[in-house]
Amino acid sequence: MKKIFYPLAALMLLVTGCAFCWAAPPGVGRDQTLAAQPKANSIAELAARYDSSSCIECHQQAHDEWAKSIHARSIFGTGRTALTFKTAIVNGAMEWPSSEVKTPKDIKVEHLMGCAKCHLPQLADATDKVAQEIVTTIWDWDAALKKEDFDKAEKFEKTLTSLNINCLICHNRNAITHKWSEGYPKKDTVYGSKSGEHMDGKFTKMAKGQIVSESILCGQCHGLGPNFDQENPTQCATAYGSYLMAYVPEGGNKTCQQCHMKESKLGHDMQSYRSKVMAEKAVDMHVVTNSVYWRDNATIRPKTSVRVELTNHAGHGIPDG
Amino acid sequence: MPVPQQMGKGDRMGRGPYEKSGLLEDTSLPPLRTITQSYDIFFPVKVEEKDGKKVSTIASDSMDVEVKLWYLPYGTMDDDPFLWKEFKKTVKISTSGK
Ligand code: HEC
Ligand code: HEC
Ligand code: HEC
Ligand code: HEC
Ligand code: HEC
Repeated sequence: MKKIFYPLAALMLLVTGCAFCWAAPPGVGRDQTLAAQPKANSIAELAARYDSSSCIECHQQAHDEWAKSIHARSIFGTGRTALTFKTAIVNGAMEWPSSEVKTPKDIKVEHLMGCAKCHLPQLADATDKVAQEIVTTIWDWDAALKKEDFDKAEKFEKTLTSLNINCLICHNRNAITHKWSEGYPKKDTVYGSKSGEHMDGKFTKMAKGQIVSESILCGQCHGLGPNFDQENPTQCATAYGSYLMAYVPEGGNKTCQQCHMKESKLGHDMQSYRSKVMAEKAVDMHVVTNSVYWRDNATIRPKTSVRVELTNHAGHGIPDG
Repeated sequence: MPVPQQMGKGDRMGRGPYEKSGLLEDTSLPPLRTITQSYDIFFPVKVEEKDGKKVSTIASDSMDVEVKLWYLPYGTMDDDPFLWKEFKKTVKISTSGK
């Protein structure tokens, strides 16, 4: 009797284990999160789930600043990012024997996550159909550009930029890194510096986000080195690694937010050297010249020695990898 | 600049983020540290024969020194170069004395 009972019990456990994981998929998609709804099935659905257009009327300034930042175009960038997504598929996944990608049609969410984990983390809350739609749109955009059909290219660009790192990524979906200790981000709450009622129709509560003013908020996307969580690791930004292992050991104690949002006065328009304030704060160049008339009988070798001192005042190496 | 390794092995640089893993070399400016580089620039010297002897003289007693710190995000001057800092000075060398 006993011998029959045990395997049965084991089987029962297996089944309930699986049922549980369908109801509440692991990752950020637990319980009352935005991510926990059924997966978005189109670019439009994914954009709608993280739609932050309602925030504009009350947070005009934050919105206008954000719109100027590259976070507002995080899979398009200056165009180079979208093109590199394409290169990553053609020169990467399609060439690798075990990726199971023979043509762009084989691309699934998992193939894009090596980039999207930072460029579009909410892609994890979408189906493979969305991955396909992104791929098709990048291909169509590139083809339109090559044919110099700029109206069409602009239309595809608009579709690609409708997915981005917006208010709801930093103030909701990715506002909590330590979800077991702090709890999962709730779908009716914006995380900032205080808690209480919030006037938005859908996000009716404010809660204090433990990391919103901490470097780790930015660090989760600004890279450490190879992304070992991927089956085929990628490596892009490494600024957070440099911050942790070079800036802090030299005695640096400012947060990303202090330099990029406050001292720069750029707020949500987080910028690199392309912005004048950032360029000026970044590097000091000090040059000392010393002229020497070197001589030895008939030979003369007058010279000037130029000593260049460069000091990087940023919170990480310049440039980032 | 940080020179990433290709697929985490060997001596080849990785270009795209899909093939970058690891680091072969890093010549970027480290935070909060001062990097010093020195360059010797020689004044052009004319060598002439005078009364059967070689005589060296300086072509000019002054020289315009220009130091430019360029950032080349894509590695070449043809692709979006950015002039970060610039220094200009005219330096002189003495014209009298032995
Ligand atoms: C009807 C107006 C209104 C709308 C719409 C609105 N907010 Fe707010 N929000 C406020 C007000 C008012 C505060 C509180 C400001 C205060 O107490 O200083 C606030 C506070 C916040 C805070 C906390 C600020 C802090 O000091 O830490 C965040 C974050 C935030 N809103 C994000 C959003 C996001 C994201 C959206 C869109 C989904 C949004 N808000 C939509 C009015 C609005
Ligand atoms: C660890 C997070 C992370 C991953 C993974 C990642 N990126 Fe990035 N990527 C960033 C960040 C942050 C920046 C911008 C800041 C910087 O360069 O330091 C960036 C910059 C870029 C740029 C430069 C944009 C420009 O205009 O110069 C390209 C292109 C790019 N990423 C493409 C990709 C592709 C393609 C993948 C996947 C193969 C990928 N990234 C994976 C975070 C990431
Ligand atoms: C890349 C991440 C990021 C995005 C995207 C983002 N925020 Fe913020 N936001 C922050 C951080 C970080 C702070 C806190 C800065 C600090 O430490 O004081 C903040 C602060 C705020 C505050 C508090 C007061 C203020 O203005 O500084 C409000 C309100 C706010 N954000 C609203 C928004 C809205 C609305 C959007 C979308 C248009 C948005 N944020 C997009 C990261 C982000
Ligand atoms: C959800 C992921 C994510 C978070 C959180 C995030 N970033 Fe970014 N950030 C990116 C990506 C991806 C890019 C590059 C987009 C591109 O060029 O295609 C970027 C670009 C930037 C750039 C511009 C880089 C350039 O080369 O122009 C700056 C500056 C920046 N982020 C600072 C911050 C700071 C400061 C924070 C925290 C307050 C932060 N980011 C939070 C993903 C993120
Ligand atoms: C002490 C001030 C300071 C701190 C702290 C700081 N930054 Fe920066 N950051 C700067 C300055 C200045 C620049 C402009 C230089 C540049 O673009 O390389 C910059 C540039 C950048 C760039 C563009 C890199 C590139 O290659 O052009 C990114 C991305 C960035 N910071 C992200 C971050 C993140 C993420 C953090 C926190 C982990 C952070 N920064 C902390 C001052 C700071």
